[in-house]
Amino acid sequence: MQTVIHVAGLHKAYGDFEAVRGIDFDVAEGEVFGLLGPNGAGKTTTVEILEGLRPRTQGDVKVLGFDPEISKRDLKNHIGVCLQATNLPDKLRVHEALDWFAAFYSQRADRNKLLQRLQLWEKRNEFYSQLSGGQKQRVALALALVNDPNLVFLDEPTTGLDPQVRLEIHTLIEELKAANRTVLLTTHYIEEAERLCDRVAIIDQGKIVALGSPRELQERIFGQSRIEVVTAQPMFGELPTFEAVAKQALSDDFKTLVVHSTRPARTLPDLIKWIDQKGFELEDIHLKRPTLEDVFIELTGKKLRD
Amino acid sequence: MLHSYLTQIRMNLLLTLRNRVALFFSYIFPLIFFGVSSMGGGGGNSLQVLNIVLGLGVLGGGLFGVGIRAVQDREQNILRRFKVAPIGPGEIIVSGMVTALALQIPNIIFMVVLAHSFLGAPWPTQPFSLLIFVCLGLLAFASLGGIIAALVNSMQEGMLLTQLFYFPLLFLGGITFPITGFPAWLQTVAQFIPSTYFSSGLQPILRGKETVLDNLPAAGALALTGLLGTFLAAKLFRWEKEDKLRPSAKLWLLAVLGPFIVLGAWQMHAKTNIAKAKVLGRDVQRSRVALIHDARLFLGDGTVIDQGSVLIKDGKIAEIYTGAAPDAKTLRADSIEAAGKTLLPGLIDVNMRLSLPGIPISESEYFQNLDQNIDRELAAYLFSGVTAVKSVGDPQQMVLKHQATIASGERLGAEVFADVSPSTKVVDGNTYEPMLAAGEALQAYVEGKTDLLDRSLVQQVVPRKWFAQVKDSLASAQSQREALRARSIRSDVAQQKLAAAYRAGVMLVAGSGGGTPMVVHGPGIHHELQLWVQTGIPPAAALQGATFNAARLLRADQRIGLIRKGYEASLLLVDGNPLQDISATERISTVFFKGERVNRADIFEQK
Repeated sequence: MQTVIHVAGLHKAYGDFEAVRGIDFDVAEGEVFGLLGPNGAGKTTTVEILEGLRPRTQGDVKVLGFDPEISKRDLKNHIGVCLQATNLPDKLRVHEALDWFAAFYSQRADRNKLLQRLQLWEKRNEFYSQLSGGQKQRVALALALVNDPNLVFLDEPTTGLDPQVRLEIHTLIEELKAANRTVLLTTHYIEEAERLCDRVAIIDQGKIVALGSPRELQERIFGQSRIEVVTAQPMFGELPTFEAVAKQALSDDFKTLVVHSTRPARTLPDLIKWIDQKGFELEDIHLKRPTLEDVFIELTGKKLRD
Repeated sequence: MLHSYLTQIRMNLLLTLRNRVALFFSYIFPLIFFGVSSMGGGGGNSLQVLNIVLGLGVLGGGLFGVGIRAVQDREQNILRRFKVAPIGPGEIIVSGMVTALALQIPNIIFMVVLAHSFLGAPWPTQPFSLLIFVCLGLLAFASLGGIIAALVNSMQEGMLLTQLFYFPLLFLGGITFPITGFPAWLQTVAQFIPSTYFSSGLQPILRGKETVLDNLPAAGALALTGLLGTFLAAKLFRWEKEDKLRPSAKLWLLAVLGPFIVLGAWQMHAKTNIAKAKVLGRDVQRSRVALIHDARLFLGDGTVIDQGSVLIKDGKIAEIYTGAAPDAKTLRADSIEAAGKTLLPGLIDVNMRLSLPGIPISESEYFQNLDQNIDRELAAYLFSGVTAVKSVGDPQQMVLKHQATIASGERLGAEVFADVSPSTKVVDGNTYEPMLAAGEALQAYVEGKTDLLDRSLVQQVVPRKWFAQVKDSLASAQSQREALRARSIRSDVAQQKLAAAYRAGVMLVAGSGGGTPMVVHGPGIHHELQLWVQTGIPPAAALQGATFNAARLLRADQRIGLIRKGYEASLLLVDGNPLQDISATERISTVFFKGERVNRADIFEQK
């Protein structure tokens, strides 16, 4: 498989402030690659360097074989970009917007197919100002695809949209993936990354703190399931050592026991057996697999969304 | 590449045409301006209105068009979308400029058509020069707007800074009113302002008097500012508010104005553009439309119309009406009430010398400031209703110089005719120039009498300080005066000769001999006519001698000396009836010179 994006030892400093402090990753053709990170982590800076919008301080960067700092225009010609919070003039019709931007590129997608694919066909003669938020975002996506790019950068494409539109956009990204297009996605939504991304890089304070498929991350970084049991009576007495348990803790009233297990299918029967033996009455039981969000909080100490 | 430029321009145009506010200011606003100026009556010239509207259009369209649009697009995050496309700042700026041109040029044609159809302005005779010059102006102002756009961070800041440029450019640059009305220091300041050069080129091009080639320095500076500005606007271009701007960037704004700083510095010495501004200001005055109505008209050739009106337009007599006057408003003319007054052709003095003071004063002082004194003498003539004079016996170089400054309109004074043939009292067998005033004055000078200087008009035109010197001068010139006694002509003999010439039907021509001691430039010719009438010449014949006959002598009777359609509007309006009382010519109401209503009160204060 061909490498579409190659980043090695990337640094970016604004005066004394280092926004990016040594980032390395590769993205292969056809991959949907996610960048996750809290605000100010350096993801936008990284992406803008890749898009040719910003110079870098140090490091090797190749995007579609171009150095984005040197071959800015060639690179822009071949990629599609959907930035956050862009606008178009109010009195611009949807189809005019597509034709306008298509004129800048050397290769063009079929405009009408694009409009249909993004469910904008009925809206093609509307002014931009008459569109809803979701429709505007679909126009932005359509503009990112006017040149039929092999590599698409999507910066928070679903932020602030209602679930229905978000779902449509997810479908679109899946279609791109099916068409073997490479997508670099930055997002705040864990579910989005979990659902769409082949691999995810978690960035914090200018560095990648974790990189892998969502499942790998869940397992490698914090691979235990959390089992929580609640009993009617306090669980006095010595706790036994269960098999495959990394950590166990009893609450202050001795009625809630939390056990972290790498093999919950093994631990759970053992645990229930022990409670039975002791004669405690089981009131409640939870089994929770870790999410990417847990991974994220664990790694960065921050929540993605406040 | 070309395709992306063309698309960019096409879309810019499309969006502007969909923008009601922009359309209002470009197309409806001038319409309103035309409406107001055509309803307002008055004799403001249609070309002047067009000049102002074009100036406003070019300055506003240039400054506000490209720049404010860019700030707006940046503020609304529209430019962010373009940032990720393969298009550079250069393409955006250049296509913005071309759009401004493409929008303004139809607008300018529209205004020319409006001025033609509603105000009766003539079609421009230099359409290509007009087009090129207007384009250069637009580019220069648009590039300024582009740089301002790059420097500001918000729409408010952008509007503020643009207006900070707009108003000085508008008012100090002579677009709305001529800079000649400013104090001298402000006129010098104006020479550093691009719009000064734009307006001083636009006006004569619009009048068909000049082409772009006559305005090369101005055109060059506008072009250079346009190019430099475009380059810098692209260089400093910011896609997003967050894009940082170096503090030194504001200095670039000065760099763009560099060509005009150079021009301004040059003009501080050369002053040619200030002189040009004076001429342009004069053109505006001369092109006003005025109706002098219900006057008694003395046409110059002896014909008298008891009640008549004269329409002045573009410096010429456009129409003569007999009987009841037409309505000035419907003619779009200034109305000049002249009931009880007499309108004559401007008087002509065919014999005077500029380089003599006409009053006994210190010669060294007079010759020290000779040029200024001559300017004043020519102004005194015009003040006295004398619109043309013939120089006799002055150095030719000097005459040509003053002839030129008057002819160009830079200074206001009587038109100067150079002495082509040696001065003789009898030009040919059929012409007689009695010069009674000069003879009488010489007599008075020899005898040391100064009562000729007490006459009211004399007192009005001679500098106050000179009267104080007369006594001493006369005393110190005792011997010269004695020497003249032998040469003095007896006035009774001169009068007899004049009477004989009149009886014989010889053409009488009036020359005052201005410059002769006690013959002051201007008032002298009035006195000459009074002396003729005392001799028994009918006032009409005397007036003809100072108008039509004089013009014939100067071989200028095809354009001056008569009130006739197509003749120059150089006229004298006096209170009363000089045909009954010749001294009425001294009771001057208004003097017109080539269509300009002469501001007699300020004529000696010309800057």
